[in-house]
Amino acid sequence: MASDIARHPSSFKDSNGFIFKHNEKYYRCIHASYLEHYQSLMQSGLYDRLTTGSWLIPHEEIKDDPELSYAGDLIILPQQVPVITYPYEWSFAMWQDAALLTLNIAKASIEKGMMLKDATPFNIQFVEGKPVFIDTLSFEKYNEQKPWIAYRQFCECFLAPLLLQHYCHVETAKIFASYPGGIPLEILKSLLPGKAKWNLHTYLHVYLQAAMKAGKRKDHAKDANRFSKAKMFLLLNGLISYVEKLKPRKNKTTWDDYYAATILSTQYLQEKTRLVQAFLATISFTTMVDLGANDGHFSMLYKNTGKQVIAVDGDANCINELYLQIRQQKISNILPIINTLHAPSPAIGWNNEERTSFHDRVRGEVILALALVHHLAIACNIPLEFIVNWLSAMGKYLLVEFVPKTDEKVKLLLQNREDIFMAYTFEGFEQAFSKKFRIMLQEKITGTDRVLYLMQIK
Amino acid sequence: MKYTFLYLDPGSGSYLLQVIIATALGGLMFFKNFWIKVKSIFIKQKPQEELKEDERQEQEQL
Repeated sequence: MASDIARHPSSFKDSNGFIFKHNEKYYRCIHASYLEHYQSLMQSGLYDRLTTGSWLIPHEEIKDDPELSYAGDLIILPQQVPVITYPYEWSFAMWQDAALLTLNIAKASIEKGMMLKDATPFNIQFVEGKPVFIDTLSFEKYNEQKPWIAYRQFCECFLAPLLLQHYCHVETAKIFASYPGGIPLEILKSLLPGKAKWNLHTYLHVYLQAAMKAGKRKDHAKDANRFSKAKMFLLLNGLISYVEKLKPRKNKTTWDDYYAATILSTQYLQEKTRLVQAFLATISFTTMVDLGANDGHFSMLYKNTGKQVIAVDGDANCINELYLQIRQQKISNILPIINTLHAPSPAIGWNNEERTSFHDRVRGEVILALALVHHLAIACNIPLEFIVNWLSAMGKYLLVEFVPKTDEKVKLLLQNREDIFMAYTFEGFEQAFSKKFRIMLQEKITGTDRVLYLMQIK
Repeated sequence: MKYTFLYLDPGSGSYLLQVIIATALGGLMFFKNFWIKVKSIFIKQKPQEELKEDERQEQEQL
């Protein structure tokens, strides 16, 4: 193998192989130590079963590329994932679907004589509107007498964030970013309300498991040989019905029903929609990032168009509603993600390289920043110059709305504070943006003081 | 809080628990099925007969 090929910074836990980037594509190297399990995956019919249902990412074996040959190892080229998202950017239903996919893959594996040895949500990505398992090396030959090696991991990595959203608050799943290896059950237990232990499943999977501290028991080998396939199906089916019944706790979040409740609603939205479509019709693009997407109204204008849209919002309820619509309507080109734009996902993990930042992952030819800048500039005190630099690094075209101080919403933002935003005027706005962008089109949204701009990066 | 589990394999310690959970769920399933059987003794099987009748009609149509 060419010596310049280095493993991906996040690919170091599994000793059976690793991911690497070569000519702008991600490949997976499978060591000889795993080939027996790999052959079993491919020949048992499990690979076909999982890829047919789009449960597992499909791949092709690379055999004739001299740059990618290495003694004893096998190189595969998986289908490429356009945009990587991390679990702490998912909404409740995305977590739930990812958890159910993991359990269903475990069940399907047993039926073909294999088992899933990992249960981490980092092995799942959302591709074409659905969760897909991306780790081809997570399968091993099944030993009926052994319990599920990934059970505790499943509880800490999937159940814990789901239970926090079910019992506490939908926004609490974000703490997974602080515990990417799984939220310890001791911590989960301390956050759950007392009533949680009265649910049999919650009691067994969380409270009892936390009480049975691993360190206190040394006879695991004895326990490990008391299992059976029937017991495994009881465990997995039990977890499936438990996860299916979980619901996000109803918390009113800031942007719930924004368009439905706002007094500006109908006429403003219709007029803005017309302008957005008219402006974007003048340029050619294939990728778009909708920042502050709310319920995805503007992203949905481009559903099933062949354009790849990333809809970003900090509000967990809005993104959940959007994901449910995408799932129900089988929309394949919109990816919803939760991110607080003034404090986006940082780079985390080993050496701060394991999981990259929002800034490093999210790019598009067109950036939509509709009714967003006033929140960043006034509610978060971010200077216009910072906002311009941030937006200019993300895309080529910018569709941005300026909401002036005469607007009701900006008056609300300023009502209980001193107006220190002297540069927040039409002139100041255009001057700041003109440093990085050229204004292509601009038009006032009828019935309001707001102005929509289409800009191109200089 | 003591992070004793940091030194252990992620799966260890949960082995006995899985035996307990599977046994508990197996017991619940047993009683659930038992209850369904008990109920079926007291409840007439008319709905099922009607269903069979419908199925037969469907097959005849095919």
